[in-house]
Amino acid sequence: MSAAPSSPARRRILAAGSLTLAFSMVPAWGQGGKGGKAKLPGSLDKAPMLDAWIRIDAGGRVTVYTGKAELGQGIKTALLQVAAEELQLAPARLSLVTADTALTPDEGYTAGSHSMQDSGTALRHACAQARDVLAEMTAQRFGVPAASLALREGVFAAPDGRRANYGELLAGKQLHLRASPASAPRLPAAHTVAGKSLARVDIPAKVTGGRAYVQDLRLPGMVHGRVVRPPSPGARLLSLDVQAVARLPGVLKVVRDGRFLAVIADGEYRAVKAAAALAQAARWQMPAEFPGGAGNAALVAAQPTAQPETILERGALPAGPMLRASYTRPFQLHGSIGPSCAVAQLVQGRYTVWTHSQGVFPLRAALAELLGTDKEQIRCIHTEGSGCYGHNAADDVAADAALLARALPGRPVRVQWMREDEHGWEPFGPPMRAEVQGALGPDGRIAAWQYAVWSAPHNARPGKAGNLLAATHLEKPFAPPPAKPIPQPEGGGDRNAIPYYVLPNARVVHHFQPQAILRTSAVRSLGAYCNVFAIESFMDELAASGRIDPVAFRLRHLDDPRAIEVVRTAAARFGWDAWRRPDPRHGRRGRGFAFARYKNLAAYCALALEVEVALDTGWVRIVRAVAAVDCGEVVNPDGVRNQIEGGIIQSASWTLLEKVRFDDSQVLTRDWGAYPILRFGQVPDRIEVHLLDRPGQPFLGTGEAAQGPAAGAIANAVFDACGLRLRDLPLDRASVRGRA
Amino acid sequence: MTTYQLSVNGRGHSVDADPDTPLLYVLRNDLQLNGAKFGCGLGQCGACTVLVGGEAVLSCLMPVAAVGARKVRTVEGLGTADAPGRLQQAFIAEQAAQCGYCIAGMIMRAEALLARKPSPTDAEIRRHMAPNLCRCGTHMRILRAVKRAAGSPEGKA
Amino acid sequence: MEQHPRSKRPRRRPVFTFILLLAFVLAAGAFALMWRPALAPQQRAPSFDAATVQKGARLAALGTCAACHTADPARPYAGGLALATPFGTVYSTNITPDAQSGIGQWSEEAFTRALRAGVSRDGHLLYPAFPYDHYTRLRHDDIHALYAWFMTRTPLDAPARPNDMRFPFGFRPLVAFWNLLYLDQATWQPDPQQSPAWNRGAYIADALSHCGACHTPRTRLGGTDQRRYLDGGEAEGWYVPALNAHSPSPLPWTREHLASYLRTGIAPGHAVAGGPMQGVVENLRLADDQDIDALATWLHGYLQKAPAQARPAPAALRSGGLASPDAGDPDAARMRLGREVYATNCARCHEAGRTPGSGGALPLQQAIALYDPDPRSLIHIVRGGIEPPDGEPGRWMPGFGAILDDAQTAALAAYLRRYGAQQAPWPEIEDSVRKAKQP
Repeated sequence: MSAAPSSPARRRILAAGSLTLAFSMVPAWGQGGKGGKAKLPGSLDKAPMLDAWIRIDAGGRVTVYTGKAELGQGIKTALLQVAAEELQLAPARLSLVTADTALTPDEGYTAGSHSMQDSGTALRHACAQARDVLAEMTAQRFGVPAASLALREGVFAAPDGRRANYGELLAGKQLHLRASPASAPRLPAAHTVAGKSLARVDIPAKVTGGRAYVQDLRLPGMVHGRVVRPPSPGARLLSLDVQAVARLPGVLKVVRDGRFLAVIADGEYRAVKAAAALAQAARWQMPAEFPGGAGNAALVAAQPTAQPETILERGALPAGPMLRASYTRPFQLHGSIGPSCAVAQLVQGRYTVWTHSQGVFPLRAALAELLGTDKEQIRCIHTEGSGCYGHNAADDVAADAALLARALPGRPVRVQWMREDEHGWEPFGPPMRAEVQGALGPDGRIAAWQYAVWSAPHNARPGKAGNLLAATHLEKPFAPPPAKPIPQPEGGGDRNAIPYYVLPNARVVHHFQPQAILRTSAVRSLGAYCNVFAIESFMDELAASGRIDPVAFRLRHLDDPRAIEVVRTAAARFGWDAWRRPDPRHGRRGRGFAFARYKNLAAYCALALEVEVALDTGWVRIVRAVAAVDCGEVVNPDGVRNQIEGGIIQSASWTLLEKVRFDDSQVLTRDWGAYPILRFGQVPDRIEVHLLDRPGQPFLGTGEAAQGPAAGAIANAVFDACGLRLRDLPLDRASVRGRA
Repeated sequence: MTTYQLSVNGRGHSVDADPDTPLLYVLRNDLQLNGAKFGCGLGQCGACTVLVGGEAVLSCLMPVAAVGARKVRTVEGLGTADAPGRLQQAFIAEQAAQCGYCIAGMIMRAEALLARKPSPTDAEIRRHMAPNLCRCGTHMRILRAVKRAAGSPEGKA
Repeated sequence: MEQHPRSKRPRRRPVFTFILLLAFVLAAGAFALMWRPALAPQQRAPSFDAATVQKGARLAALGTCAACHTADPARPYAGGLALATPFGTVYSTNITPDAQSGIGQWSEEAFTRALRAGVSRDGHLLYPAFPYDHYTRLRHDDIHALYAWFMTRTPLDAPARPNDMRFPFGFRPLVAFWNLLYLDQATWQPDPQQSPAWNRGAYIADALSHCGACHTPRTRLGGTDQRRYLDGGEAEGWYVPALNAHSPSPLPWTREHLASYLRTGIAPGHAVAGGPMQGVVENLRLADDQDIDALATWLHGYLQKAPAQARPAPAALRSGGLASPDAGDPDAARMRLGREVYATNCARCHEAGRTPGSGGALPLQQAIALYDPDPRSLIHIVRGGIEPPDGEPGRWMPGFGAILDDAQTAALAAYLRRYGAQQAPWPEIEDSVRKAKQP
């Protein structure tokens, strides 16, 4: 983690040390690629020069670069494995630099489960091509064919024993070569590092108190800031008496800019106390602006809706009775266990911001607009935070820190959001409603399918200053830019609204709601969580209407062999066909199944689970969950399992417990007491994750694949256990009881 | 500001702090210890768990003035990356972390249990760990790691 | 054998016979008292209409049956909760309709007898930890509805855990003598001078919610002392406040506050339910609103009798900060320690409050526990906090049991009593702290 102010611009490094190869040195695959217009694999397309991805110093130390960020999903380890595999170096001998606007390629956001697809692919190809260039250089030097060279631990060996290592080959120069559309990555069968469950490189520090998070950053002269937020989005500041606060011990500055109020103090707890005093010294008028206590459907109905967009139209909808159901989801939290934190410093007109934002490049653009400065004057360095699960308050706190750094130039300012801040102000997962209609034909197949989904925006990420919370509170506020729907095939509220099933007659309509009652943005899997919950619940409702087994029913409607295989695997490993309801005298048990392919183009996930339900107390617990996952070529099997287990438990928490509550003037769920999440007492007895590895196949994003299936499987299992078909998330204790 | 003498991980420290400063901030800011984390400051999540006088304590709630002569132990006191302690080894072996932010608190909570009850049942472990939250859903691995540490002799996982 | 003349028979014989006869009569009487016949097991329960079952659900909520009979939320009504009494530890039984380990074979007659007389189906006497001395007052149709509710629950396999009674209370038939003294099976009668709502509340309080079981003191034999009705009592190591003229509450209870408290556990700006009362509220919130209002009306009838006592003026009650100890305080050292403990642990929430929406904590001058005749409840709250049930949203006060040592806890209690409540000191606080730590 670099603590130095911004380094010399990358362009200067490149100009000084680039290597211009004679045309003859370029490997065969590279000769057609120079200046070609063909698309480069993964993020290479955005950053086509090889030395943007890999740099080797004279001593042979290799550094690889990624524009993606470690969010706790293990991406650093997986990318190191990919690079190490291609470069044939032990991972411990590689350094990986993650998202830094001064040092790495711009890969946008670490989001949407794109990291392996974009960055993993780019690194694989860049490293393979770099290796082949180096091989070619060795071949030229030794006058032997490149194919005769052996490569081990970064050393090429000619048949006669002559050796050359990466460091001496380049002698401090870098591979300033444009990547080619074609590469020769190592064959999966030969893999020695990729495909193995390499231990996560970041875990040892995390279990021994090593420096690991932005929260651990300590810089000389660092001071502490806390922001006092308005009590609600529409609150008006009536009066503020800063005198007493400014005199509190340790307070260096009280900042007031419109409704943006903050203190900076020399000690952290002093800042906390000063902020509490500042909050007490402010008087606000809070308008009644929310439909307090409204149910999910009413919430959605209260939001304006844009023109509907038909995203699937196939066949003709036959006349006749249809089964109908409506499924809803409330506002939900990311609920990061460590509230968001950032450190910023302004030195001689240049800002450095240490942030756990998922997108340091877009954040930089937004900060530039906010601060009225050039983006070249800002460096954003990704520094790991706690799990964010999407667009949490990371960008907002970075803006807070930057504003406070500007208020106290020269000093690094650390801003840590409090729990109430994060719960009250993070961008929420939006409320959604799905209306489904379907009918079975005489052959037991779905003859008609109609699906309509309403959803507020799933993307309020910076780019623009108006996406930063503080910016909207300034005296001269920035307005949030109008939200735009994320287009298919990825989608936002309509992500996974198109079922992966074979449906000859189907309509799917997306009703985008440009403005929610509260700020909303991306939470892990976006609309897929609610859409898959709805689709998979309805699949069971249709199957039941035809008295068809839920697994058999799904298989009937799948034609993708990989989808069929995950479904079969999950069912088989669960023991679906042989399952018998246990003696209810030991507790009411039920089983449920769900399947989805994330975004219909990323990882496949099928999930079978058994729940125990106690109706009188509303207590639901997953007893056993069995997942089957196909994410293409698996780089780190244990990493994938970890993500899927985690996704199942997190989704179980959302599904069984979580709902943002508010009254008519403010958000009420400001701590874990008011917004409970799953604790150890409710986690399953057992989770199994079975991976269907596809060596050689493209990487498929997996981090979000389990969210939707877990919700669907739980709802289906609860129905199986006790006959209660619950369609409004969460299936909390009050809903299962049927009364408060 | 008052001067406090604290015993942390077996070493004495002299710290100047306001009496109501939670131990968490003293550990992190005055002693540069990273293990205990700020998660909520309200005693609801356990990310700040340390041992004080052998008991698991939420350091975000405990004012430095209340520590007195009681010995404080943090995850740093259990071992290092090069020489991890029994629980730390178990967590590494089970890869029991995703973002990892809650893990130091989990380890200290577990340490309090194993010191009192070297061979807890699965149900006892679950009950004991309940005050600690994990948002990433790493619970299964955390339970396995604690079980693994319990099953191994001190110094080895 | 020689015949002795009649006049030479020993004098003790008539007395001996008389004693034998008396003993026999007493034994027969005792036996008649202690013995109850078994009632025939029922193989199949009758069916019930949905409305009756629903009515039973609401009555069971009012009766707070789950507070004792649901120890594990995954196994409702399966029993297993330990209740410590002066006579030993009683474990609640399985009242699901399981044929083997629950009440599945109980006819309505058996069920009724249990509620009215404290007798199990097979004739053994139930310990009055099960408050049949209250349930005995239930109307017949209410018992029927309760029966409908319990017989339609999920049967769960959960054999009763053996009780751990002190000698000789393990001998159940002795309970018959307790019943002689304390079981009054007279039919409940409304008070014609009171409103229908009050009477509804009175019926609920006596026959269902059994408020008096905790809120009225008990005699040495463990019976309710009716002469001191609602004068306060104890439960599970907590002091249970008086609900009559002797109420310790510094603020007067309004009917609205009572209804809110019973329904949600919170009377805003007044009180938060802690300890055993939390379990009561968890049940009452599932009851009918009208019934809760009736209960509040009845309670208010008693609580409004609390005279205006010399208490801190209302303005002072809401001002937030607590005073520092006087220099001349005879207990100065302990008060200073208590003040420091308060200032560094409690004031952050209880004085400054938290951000709106997360729920500010009660200013401690208003905390009823400070006005109790003894510090037990305060000590439990300080050590254990107040947390919502698993998986349910609610207010959260953390516990300081691991943070504060005994001296700090005692000093805090003493300080709050003097400078928060401005009441005469509690005696033997250290002793109470020590006892509170025992399981």
